[in-house]
Amino acid sequence: MTSETMPRMMIIDDEPIVGKRLQQSFAKLGLEVAIFTRPEEGLAAMAATPFDIVVTDLKLEGELDGMGVLARAKAINPAARVIIITGYASQETANTALREGAFEFLAKPFRLEEIKNVVLRAWEELR
Amino acid sequence: MKEASPAEVFSRFQSVLRANNRALELIADLGEKLGGDYLFDRRYIEITVDSLVTTVGESIANLDTLRGKRHQALHDAYQRLTEELRLVLSRREDRNGPRFLDLGAILPRDLALVGGKAAHLASMRHDPSLTVPDGMVITSRAFHDLIDHNLLRPELDTFEALMADREADAAELDRSRQRLERAMTRAEPPPGFLPELAASLRLLCPDDHSFLAVRSSAQEEDMDFSFAGQFRSLINIPAAPETVFAASREVMASLFAPGAVSYRRRIFPDDGQMSIAVVCQRMIPSQASGVAFSVDTMNLRQDTMVIVAAWGQGEAVVEGRIPTDTFIVKKGPEPFILERHVAKKTHGLYPRPTSTGTGAMGGGLGQGSQPAQATAATGGLEVQDIAPERQAIPCLTDETILTLARQVCHLETTSKWPQDVEWAIDNEGALFLLQARSLILNEGSAHDRALPERLAAYSLLSSGQGRVAQQGIGAGPVRIINHPDELADFPEGAVLVSRRDSSRFVEVMAKASAIVTEVGTPVSHMATICREFKVPCLVNVQGVLGKVTDGEVITIDTEDRRIYQGRVEELLAYNASSSMNVMASLEFRLLRRILKKVSVLSLVDPMLREFTVEGCLSYHDILRFNHETAVQTLVEMGKDEQRILSGHLARRLALPIPTGILVIDIGGGLTPEAPANDLPLTAVASIPFASILKGMLHPGIWHTAPMTVGVRDLMHSMFNPAHDVVNRQYTGHNIAVIGSHYVNLCFRLGYHFNIIDVHCGPVEQNNHIYFRFLGGVTDMTKRSRRSLMISTILTAFDFTVQTRGDLVTARLTHLPVEEMERILDILGRLVGFTRQLDVKMESDERAEEYAEAFLNGDYEIASL
Repeated sequence: MTSETMPRMMIIDDEPIVGKRLQQSFAKLGLEVAIFTRPEEGLAAMAATPFDIVVTDLKLEGELDGMGVLARAKAINPAARVIIITGYASQETANTALREGAFEFLAKPFRLEEIKNVVLRAWEELR
Repeated sequence: MKEASPAEVFSRFQSVLRANNRALELIADLGEKLGGDYLFDRRYIEITVDSLVTTVGESIANLDTLRGKRHQALHDAYQRLTEELRLVLSRREDRNGPRFLDLGAILPRDLALVGGKAAHLASMRHDPSLTVPDGMVITSRAFHDLIDHNLLRPELDTFEALMADREADAAELDRSRQRLERAMTRAEPPPGFLPELAASLRLLCPDDHSFLAVRSSAQEEDMDFSFAGQFRSLINIPAAPETVFAASREVMASLFAPGAVSYRRRIFPDDGQMSIAVVCQRMIPSQASGVAFSVDTMNLRQDTMVIVAAWGQGEAVVEGRIPTDTFIVKKGPEPFILERHVAKKTHGLYPRPTSTGTGAMGGGLGQGSQPAQATAATGGLEVQDIAPERQAIPCLTDETILTLARQVCHLETTSKWPQDVEWAIDNEGALFLLQARSLILNEGSAHDRALPERLAAYSLLSSGQGRVAQQGIGAGPVRIINHPDELADFPEGAVLVSRRDSSRFVEVMAKASAIVTEVGTPVSHMATICREFKVPCLVNVQGVLGKVTDGEVITIDTEDRRIYQGRVEELLAYNASSSMNVMASLEFRLLRRILKKVSVLSLVDPMLREFTVEGCLSYHDILRFNHETAVQTLVEMGKDEQRILSGHLARRLALPIPTGILVIDIGGGLTPEAPANDLPLTAVASIPFASILKGMLHPGIWHTAPMTVGVRDLMHSMFNPAHDVVNRQYTGHNIAVIGSHYVNLCFRLGYHFNIIDVHCGPVEQNNHIYFRFLGGVTDMTKRSRRSLMISTILTAFDFTVQTRGDLVTARLTHLPVEEMERILDILGRLVGFTRQLDVKMESDERAEEYAEAFLNGDYEIASL
């Protein structure tokens, strides 16, 4: 597999440990992951180069929340797979997110394996 | 006051149990997250701790209701612990505790007070294979006292707020920083401070001519962030309160030095809070000293380590000031020196002579003379020439090099991370380790895109199997353990592979590079211990014993749940060079400290002296205390014969064996069809009780012929009534209080006395067996032997056992239902087996024979 076929992945979460942990975890798969703690930074990066997989929390520090990121990300790149991770999960928010086009919705805390499986599924779909 | 009806009592008892169980579940949940397999955030911690605080409060309130009174001492303990927990959460626990602590007196819970470096030194001191100089710590509590006494709190708050703000104005931050730095160097000691310091120094240095190395020990320091060189160290300081205070002020002020501040901005951009402690160690007058790395950073893939050495004090090596020798040592069970690079050592760093010109250690006048200036970075040291004949010879002998190499590698194995160690050889040739910290490596392999391909080149022994008890990557030769007794010669750095987990593995946790078991869960005792020791651990890897052979080298990657054949250097390098050790992140550290306050159990058994409210050091202790106190209520009710025997409250058990047990059902313990009296085994719905009875009914267990009790033995029983403690618990009837998942069995069989308390349900985290055994008809010696027999048997089933004379207490927790049923059956057999056996315990060998026989299923021996 050449690096051109590697998906570009981004994580937006206001807690630095989340991005770093996931970055470390996905590095073993050979995936390069960009991490941001503010949604504006993430979206700016998305506007500069397309990202295939976006993992975002719902509650963020900045003008946007996760749903806003979802909308903007899909506007920039309709093929992007957006995964919502959040500690504020409820059935309602999950349903809303999925309805609005999120690829998957994970409630924190979750096992690393769970998010890896979701990302791998998204990767599969993108190919 | 109207007495509660039995039904009400049972219902309230159930409430206590329910609250307890819910709290235990939450505690286990927190513990599981610490394993590293989960992604969690601060919010999870806060929510869960909140629930826990509430639930423990409920448990106490329910107990109050049950017993019809307020347990004030319990409420006080609860308040105290909750306050301590809040301090941990708000990260103010570094203000709570003594100002001065001897290194030898530091406990793991003092970490926040003494800082990373001192905590690490304290644990190294407990390791018999390492020699660490004596020392004491001026704690972060002292730091905070200085801040408050000198009215610097508002400035510090401002500074910390700026540090936490990424957008903060750099000039404003610098001004605040400078103000604090200046103010700290001029800080006045609060009242009592110097006399207290003097007392601590006198304990550390009883003679008058001692000198100290005064170094920083910041909260985050040496956990995973070395802050190398950013804080001050002052060396060769006379051990007098004024000089030590002046030196420690300098060290504390260096928290606000430009280098330290910019380091913090880079590594902890969102965390403004940090305090500092000061560790004062006795100086080792060094013949030679230097630094050792347990890996060769230039060559991560080779299995080598590096030692750098110079004549004199090691600060010169650390600061790169002088020519040094370098030695490369190949690691392994038989280390050997690969390379020697001997430099021309023209200079060395030595203690500056005092003004009387006597030089070096011990000759000075202490505080009377001009003390060594505490303002230069090297304090009382100076560069001196080395005699020409010593310049070209290596400053370490081969023997010393290998000794040092072994100790450093040992440290790496116990710390589970590469180490950066400062060491010194004194004038007698003895080796001392002065400091040790985690080695931070480059990010090289963390972003190695070819890593997946490289990994594909290795053979996989297992993939995707098992559950993660503790995250990490470890490699080493396999050592299969079939029985805990085999742990005695466990090799250093080996991978422990076993069928089932055992809390006895704690004996080798420091040595093991990883643990793999065929059965087991991430919530077991052993899993908890793995997390404390940070030993990578995979449990429930079915069939693993068939896939590995003793002695073969394997690599465990818990994150991917893979076991590779051989040593996968790429993974080990990846592990070592990860840009952040997750385990040391704020959230993990917070979680670990919270768990110390909630889950560590000190109160083991009510029959032991320390089982008091004052002895409650954690929430778990409180829950345990509540449980036992609640049980007491039922027992007391049982003593009231009127209440018990009327209204069919207690029903007799009708079994082929004469147990004389009365059953009290608090709900769900009996089937709906159960008769009003003379209950058959089939009427018992209580899972744990049924299992115990099954064991007692096991063929061959209950020998019906009474033992021949000698006259002497009988005399003993007449003149040695059972303990008062026993009488409090024992009612005169054998009583089983049962629920669908619960039993408390309190009974006297033959001449001895048992209490078995069990919770056995679908939620593993709530399951426990507490077992107590006491008394007997004969003399103390025979009774102790019987205890020996019982304790041998219970240990074989992985109970945690304590014996005191003729009292045996044991516990086993967190097992799944099937395991529990099996073990309860065995307990039932044990109870039957030991009836009156102590009269036969003529010798220790007999005791062992009986234990052996029982474990082999040879129950007939008891009736011989």
